[in-house]
Amino acid sequence: MRADRDLHPLGLGQDGPGTLVIDWSDGHRCSLDVRALRLACPCAECVDEWTGEQRLREDAVPDNVRPVRIDPVGQYALTVAWTDGHTTGIYTFERLAEMCACEDDQSGGAA
Amino acid sequence: MPTSEQVLAALKTVQDPDLGKDVVSAGFVKNLFVDGATVRFDLVAVSPDGKDKRALVPACEQVVRGLDGVASVQIAYRSEVRAPKAPRAIMPDVEHVVAVASGKGGVGKSTVAANLALGLHLEGKRVGLLDADIYGPSMPTMFATRARPEPVGKDRILPVEAQGLKLMSIGFLVDPDQPMIWRGPMVHGALSQFLEQVVWGELDVVVVDMPPGTGDAQLTLGQKAPLSGAVIVTTPQEVALVDARKGLKMFEQVKVPVLGIVENMSYFVCDGCDKQHDLFGRGGARRAATELGVPFLGEIPLQSGVPQSGDEGQPIVVRDPESPAGRAFRELARTVARTLAFQGKSATDSLSMSWQG
Repeated sequence: MRADRDLHPLGLGQDGPGTLVIDWSDGHRCSLDVRALRLACPCAECVDEWTGEQRLREDAVPDNVRPVRIDPVGQYALTVAWTDGHTTGIYTFERLAEMCACEDDQSGGAA
Repeated sequence: MPTSEQVLAALKTVQDPDLGKDVVSAGFVKNLFVDGATVRFDLVAVSPDGKDKRALVPACEQVVRGLDGVASVQIAYRSEVRAPKAPRAIMPDVEHVVAVASGKGGVGKSTVAANLALGLHLEGKRVGLLDADIYGPSMPTMFATRARPEPVGKDRILPVEAQGLKLMSIGFLVDPDQPMIWRGPMVHGALSQFLEQVVWGELDVVVVDMPPGTGDAQLTLGQKAPLSGAVIVTTPQEVALVDARKGLKMFEQVKVPVLGIVENMSYFVCDGCDKQHDLFGRGGARRAATELGVPFLGEIPLQSGVPQSGDEGQPIVVRDPESPAGRAFRELARTVARTLAFQGKSATDSLSMSWQG
């Protein structure tokens, strides 16, 4: 899905125990697998700040990892407190929009 | 026949065990209607998980039936799933928070912040001013007050009142001559604490005097404070403009709308001849604003008396509102007030949720 500058979530929801639903300001509704979201955590503990190398090992994250709470960060991002105790990830709206794989938007890519 | 007050008073004795509140205070009772000896109302159980609270119905019926003159009680039960909306932890009753920032120091940012806050106050707004310049707080001097903030409860403090504003500065809490030597994480902690623990009360605007630059403190404020917008202060020189652009980019990254750019020390008004001298080459900020696609908020002249009035605790808007700088600041305040009026509150307030299951 396209990540334009003013794109922001209007609301958050849940589809079953493992799927986060985001309603975007452009009318898109995206579903994100929460474990994939946990694995994509961009914080300095999970991704090396200098090299960009992934430090979080996939097998270190429980299969049933779930958010506990989701809260806004300023006006540009969301932060998630996870059941595995991790709380430091800040997911920018751009990044969340890029992670969304809507069927009706496959041509868009990162354009 | 009973009055609706009597019915509500009776219902107030029915507690929801999950919320620890009675059903009236919890907002469950809707559409109460007393028709002769018949009492009708809806019992809407609001909970984050849609939990069945039908057990409350007989309890409600029993207490209402116990009232004199009640022959029949009709309760329509339904449940609504709604996550309780967490109140904003920071400045919950403040309509707008406006940051006054600059890319570099020495451009008169604190002077602009103080005069903007006072100008908004003259426009009839209820205004707070937060001196977030933790390295070099200047508001205690600009408002000539060394008052100590009053503590409230265990760990909260009240702002100091001065010239119609609510004022808070780290300068009120520490020795003004003591330098602040803080590492990044300490800056974040101190500012967060500062934002969370000051009891601002109900205000239309809080103006935040940001520390200069684009570092930890700015990032903390961008993340923690519900900023409605930022005013970037610059001077006409190219070096200042380069930094103003950086400041602007920073706010773009944290999605804080830039209300516009102000050119401070734009020109010098000679007090002998009233001639305007363009000391630093005027108009650079206007060009930069056009180039960057943000509003230009005006030119503040360099006028003798502006810095002194700040040093003496009476900013120019108060001391000499009809002077060129006084008028420019009041115009700035009007522009900012107008822009804010068209702007909603922070757009992300509703993006909180507790995960179920």
